[in-house]
Amino acid sequence: MQTTPSSADLDLQADNLRRAAIDKSVKGPVLFLFLNGAFWLMASTILGVLAAIKLVSPSFLGDCQFLQFGRLQPTHINALVYGWGIQAGLGVMLWIMARRSGQELKGGKSLLYVAGVFWNIAVTLGLLGILLGGSTSMQWLEMPRFVWPILLGSFLVFAWPMAVMFGKAFRPEGFMVSTWYILGACFWFPWIFLTANVCLHCIPSLGALAAGINAWYVHGVIFLFFTPVAIGSAYYFIPKITGRPIASAELAKLGFWGLAVLAGWTGMQTYMGGPLPSWMPSIGALTGTLLLIPVGVVGLNHHLTTLGSHSLVATSPTLRFTFLGSLLLPITGVIFALLSNYSTGVNLQFTHAGYGFQIIAIYGFFSMCVFGAIYYIVPRLAGCEWLSVRLIRNHFWFSTYGIGAIVVTSLVAGLQQGGDLNNPEMWDQDFMQLALNSRPYMVARAISWALITWSNVWFLIHLMLMVAGLGRRSSAPTLLHSAHDDTPHAAHA
Amino acid sequence: MSNFRTFILGLVASFGLPWLCLIVIPVLKYQALQPVAYDKDTDGVEGYYPPAPVHGQGQIVYLREGCSQCHTQMIRPSQIALDGWHKGWGQDQEARPAAPVRSNTLYDYLGEHYAPLGIVRSGPDLANYGWRAPERGIIHQKLFAPRSQHDWSNMPAFKSLYIVRKAQGPVSDKALKLTGKAAPEAGYEVVPTAEAEALVDYLLSLKKDYPVPGVSAAVAAAPAPAKK
Repeated sequence: MQTTPSSADLDLQADNLRRAAIDKSVKGPVLFLFLNGAFWLMASTILGVLAAIKLVSPSFLGDCQFLQFGRLQPTHINALVYGWGIQAGLGVMLWIMARRSGQELKGGKSLLYVAGVFWNIAVTLGLLGILLGGSTSMQWLEMPRFVWPILLGSFLVFAWPMAVMFGKAFRPEGFMVSTWYILGACFWFPWIFLTANVCLHCIPSLGALAAGINAWYVHGVIFLFFTPVAIGSAYYFIPKITGRPIASAELAKLGFWGLAVLAGWTGMQTYMGGPLPSWMPSIGALTGTLLLIPVGVVGLNHHLTTLGSHSLVATSPTLRFTFLGSLLLPITGVIFALLSNYSTGVNLQFTHAGYGFQIIAIYGFFSMCVFGAIYYIVPRLAGCEWLSVRLIRNHFWFSTYGIGAIVVTSLVAGLQQGGDLNNPEMWDQDFMQLALNSRPYMVARAISWALITWSNVWFLIHLMLMVAGLGRRSSAPTLLHSAHDDTPHAAHA
Repeated sequence: MSNFRTFILGLVASFGLPWLCLIVIPVLKYQALQPVAYDKDTDGVEGYYPPAPVHGQGQIVYLREGCSQCHTQMIRPSQIALDGWHKGWGQDQEARPAAPVRSNTLYDYLGEHYAPLGIVRSGPDLANYGWRAPERGIIHQKLFAPRSQHDWSNMPAFKSLYIVRKAQGPVSDKALKLTGKAAPEAGYEVVPTAEAEALVDYLLSLKKDYPVPGVSAAVAAAPAPAKK
């Protein structure tokens, strides 16, 4: 079809207007989620510092019962998972779903605010509940049992409009892999969350099986919520910034269905060699290792899409964070495979390596992709540009080094601990040597979380200024690159 | 819209299968589990396996304080780990036992609402702690002031489970025998609360290596459950 320049201009203008209308329709809820998420992220990193110090010096902060390691650590993780992860994830999901499906959010916006407020109240009550002595000790479900229905209801309020948008925009011939992942996350999380909570809180006395279900839940949230949201976001933003289509639709499909088919089976290998019927951890170990296929395929696809545009990684904050996130995805997969299979897994079982895996999954791979998305989305919603390149760079490098240090030290600590536990020479020793051997790693963990806290305090302030509309008034996006910039990425480009 | 329906069906099927096989069916089957009676002739023991569930009130305190962040309750089989050979991790408290402590089965946790199998082993495994536990006073001392027993212990001091009160009249027989830094100032004594007593009851009830009915190897390895 022949189009005249003027009609192309008109098309572009209409397109921009349509985008602006979509942005406007989701602006409030999305910014609300991001801002609260960033607050919880900061809170969680501070708690991470305290918890790591507590493992070295239990009398730090006195012997206050509310701040003992057994309560502080779950509070730290729950703030990271529910306060930051799922909340910020919902914001990214809502925006991408609206944009990608070309649908404005029709009505129900006040309901979304209510759900958002309830989510945050529930998280606050839940975390206080843990600190005040209501912890259930079920991993990632430590919050007192009255909290989960509120969380589930709030989540569903957000998931419903996304499902409607997806349904309206579904075209048989179109291929929209990012919305596939996001719809998947909308659909899997409530199912997993409901199943786990009903099994653990409502069915009495499941004993060791309850522990298995708990482990299944943790890995379900990682692989069927955090992973799809982050991959969906990367599939949206990498082509957007590089201006190239996704390298291979076939790989994208393979990656999606591979994840969908495998991830539901995994998790129980946490208790390999334990009381569960042995096929359950075995199938978890098998699928946990096979997950390398979808994870590798997605990583390859992202790599092929970015190929040739690496200079943009140096300039675009969004691409830089997303690039790092999608680089960490295969690394997360490899660490998970190491933890899952019986030959290396038994050495890393019940060690700090498991924490390293959870942190690289949530803060490493998921959060980096979400930061990338936030750096793209917020200027479009707030109507102003990010104030400071230095703050973004500060956020990137402190987070990168912090997360790298936490993950590496956790893995090495895991090797050390696992080696000590399985060292025949230590069969008749008490645990003091093991405790002493892991002390340096805990000190490193505290320092790393402190670095990350530093970056997130500034991220929160930066985000608050943006939401308040105090950003730069400019039509030019904030880019990281300048001529005399000698960050390693610039050199690499 | 058929394609949309296929997509949703694909999602339901791909996740529904593991959900059904891994969660729903095992949960239904688990609820039918009952304690198994020992056979006097083959097992040489009378009664039921497991003999009794753990102390529930104390487990609530254990869960509340997040003990499972650092303590596991799960002995792994000796072909994959050395847990079973670790001194004092089973019923036998003496030197290296002739056979490793058996690994745990589903039945060991029967009657527990949630089995705190544990997250990280920053402290020793507690699956069979009841056998190696010292007398109550020493466990209380460990909970109140861990560093009075080990200089570098990374265990938190659960001071809130104890009451420091002015000693009146003769010293309470419940009072902790503390010395050195951990001791209260003169004229004061430290007594456990009901919660601390429940927690200790729970710890003493952790004996998850009773012989499994019909497993002769385990019977040969483990002596009959003694009364303690």
